[in-house]
Amino acid sequence: MLNRISTLFADAKDLNALRIENNEMIIEIAYISSLCDESKVSDFILVPFQKEQQPFDLILERNPQFQLVHDPAMWTHIILRGFVLLSVKGKIYSLDTARIIRNETPLTQVETAILGPQLALSEDLVDSINIIRSRYPSPDLGIEEKTVGSMSQTRLMMLYDNRHVDPNVLSEARLKLQSIRIDFLNATGQLERKLNGKRSLLPTMMITERPDRIVNCLQRGKVILLMQGSMFAIVLPATFYEFMHAVDDDYDSFWMTRMLILLRYIAVILTITMPALYIAVVSYNPELFRVQLAFSIAGSRSAVPYPSFVEVFIMLFMIESLIEASLRLPKYIGSTATTVGGLILGQAAQQAGLVSSIMIIVTSVVAISNFVVPVNNMSIAIRFVKYPLIIPAIFFGITGVTVGIFALVCYMTHLRSFGKPYIRIFGPIKAHAGDIGQVREE
Amino acid sequence: MNRYFYYNVVLGTMLNLMLFIPHILVKYRYTGAISSMAVAVVIGTVLSYTFTYVIQTFPGKGMPEILYLFLPRAVVIPTLLFMAAMWFIASSIALIGYAVLINRFFNPDTSAMIVLALLCLVCIYAATRSSLSVMFMMEMGLIINTPLILFILMKSVRSENMSWDAIRTVANYWQQMPQLAPVAAASYLFTGYINFAIYNRLTPPNFRLRYRWIVPVFGTVFMLISFFVPIGFHGTETVVHYIYLWSVTSDALIMNYGFIERVIFVFLILYLNLTLIYTTSGWHQAMEFVKSCFPANKPDVDQRKVPLSNWIITSVFGVLTLLHLYFFNEKESFQFASGWLILRLFVESITVIGLFILCVRWRRASS
Repeated sequence: MLNRISTLFADAKDLNALRIENNEMIIEIAYISSLCDESKVSDFILVPFQKEQQPFDLILERNPQFQLVHDPAMWTHIILRGFVLLSVKGKIYSLDTARIIRNETPLTQVETAILGPQLALSEDLVDSINIIRSRYPSPDLGIEEKTVGSMSQTRLMMLYDNRHVDPNVLSEARLKLQSIRIDFLNATGQLERKLNGKRSLLPTMMITERPDRIVNCLQRGKVILLMQGSMFAIVLPATFYEFMHAVDDDYDSFWMTRMLILLRYIAVILTITMPALYIAVVSYNPELFRVQLAFSIAGSRSAVPYPSFVEVFIMLFMIESLIEASLRLPKYIGSTATTVGGLILGQAAQQAGLVSSIMIIVTSVVAISNFVVPVNNMSIAIRFVKYPLIIPAIFFGITGVTVGIFALVCYMTHLRSFGKPYIRIFGPIKAHAGDIGQVREE
Repeated sequence: MNRYFYYNVVLGTMLNLMLFIPHILVKYRYTGAISSMAVAVVIGTVLSYTFTYVIQTFPGKGMPEILYLFLPRAVVIPTLLFMAAMWFIASSIALIGYAVLINRFFNPDTSAMIVLALLCLVCIYAATRSSLSVMFMMEMGLIINTPLILFILMKSVRSENMSWDAIRTVANYWQQMPQLAPVAAASYLFTGYINFAIYNRLTPPNFRLRYRWIVPVFGTVFMLISFFVPIGFHGTETVVHYIYLWSVTSDALIMNYGFIERVIFVFLILYLNLTLIYTTSGWHQAMEFVKSCFPANKPDVDQRKVPLSNWIITSVFGVLTLLHLYFFNEKESFQFASGWLILRLFVESITVIGLFILCVRWRRASS
């Protein structure tokens, strides 16, 4: 066995391939020292083997942690997962000694809630499932393991509640997972993009790090995908409304949270339509607004020498690069960039007559309302949606904006998240009345 | 589930303004419009009750499937093509009317052709979606637009500038005999139910339609508003001078608070949405009728991959609509629309009664 393994891992310096013997027998063990917990190796193998209190092959047979490996083709795979391979009297056993470096007791950072659990998922699958299971003490919790990625062999766990889950969703999720063709899977977002289809405008799956959200979703019959090496989980299927819903909405005062939900919808509408509406109102239909407002917009634009869409592009370029820069910069310089860019440049650009002061307000409204969306992957998707709307606004004014929004609504209503409609009125469905489109002719 | 039926009804009723119906009614204001409206209420109610009886007998089956059950292919295919034409023409009239309206009020510098091309493009995209998606789209669109439209209507009814005297004057002509053209026009307000000729494919097996009284009640209220309010605003004589009667009427209103002062812009944006939804729905149904002619076609209400045939059929619709605007002017379009409305009344009555007879025979045979 050793010869074969040393040829397979010819250049790997961290491979430990040993042949040890005691009075009774000779065994061969092989493992990658950097992937394994050496203390486990010595506790389970080296010490009992040398102490000889029991015959070692008996230990192997009795301890269920040692598993018999039949297929030599699996050897590399097993070793690379952090297992130890043992060869005893012609039989090959494996033992899990993996040591995974992960963030210890991680706190929520992306999706924070004030009065909610502060613990986030872990980057290690076992820890994450521990967190979820301890919050969801139900024997109905089903867990399936999959592997995705021809090179990375990333382990995925699919969690669902047996009693509540929709079998169609489950089978479609399995099918989609099987059909993924990718070499390396590094992040949950990558998996989401692969599941979502090629060029999707809006996400149809939620990415979250919050165990309370996951538990809620499990209880409502959703499927959770966890990935080794990522502290984010995918929740599917998802509707548009769920992206607008923060976990706090269930924890805080009733009326305030309802108002916040309303505010989020208004913010999303504003961030999508404001740039397009600005172009439409300034260049095509100033008569839309009441006279005083139209005058003040025109007055603030009087120094600007080019058409409104150039102005919009300049400001959107600036604000997007600001956001991008503050994301990429090290944390300590980040705040400087925003101050310089946001305050000073904005003020100066307006005074220099490059952009109107109304446009500065529009830009900041667009930028701020964008970040009101609680789920990050939706927030980023919505950041893009305003650009396609600008184009009809440039050519058709307010008509173009309306038509563009209509097209967006059409796109959204045609989206399905694992066979479930993405946006519609989800009322209670009476069993005797049935639901629309419930029966599909085969 | 019931609500999806009433979305169609409400949409059809609210869209009558785009199909020149108030103008046609107002033209006959001294010569029988009011009695025609009364007749139309009766006709519309009877037809809608009959039709809903039919669709409840065949839940999950669209009109093509029902026809194929009883009639030979050679009869069904021409009928279906004719139906497709009816649906296509209805929505295209609305769309062309709207393109001209936009050209007049929003973008006077752009040609109506280009605006219509934009509207056609969007409708082609939207109509190719699956029936279920079109239904959801209608739902979202109406949920967003209807409250605002009702707000504008309430505002107009309660406006101080309305002359109730003019309304009473016109109302005094109620003894005149009804005439065909206004009856056809007014009965259009009750015709939203006919969309279930295709959308009935979506109904669940034990589908029972409730609250059917909404159809006549909503239709009647809306009909009275859309006929009398413009008369109240413009007076008994001037009212007939406007083709886009309601656009001008809404321009008589102002909103004192808020960003937007002239109601007409809100009104036009809302009706643009409604027209797009209506056209999408109409083209989608026409497309489904055409597709049902092919023997290989299997209706799938929630098709995720849009087939190429959808694109081809709706693109033909789009091109035909553009050609219509190119060859006919506004006046001819208006003539065309009023002629179509009369034809529609007969076609619809024959269809509904024919289906009803088939349905009754089927019930007798099966019991």
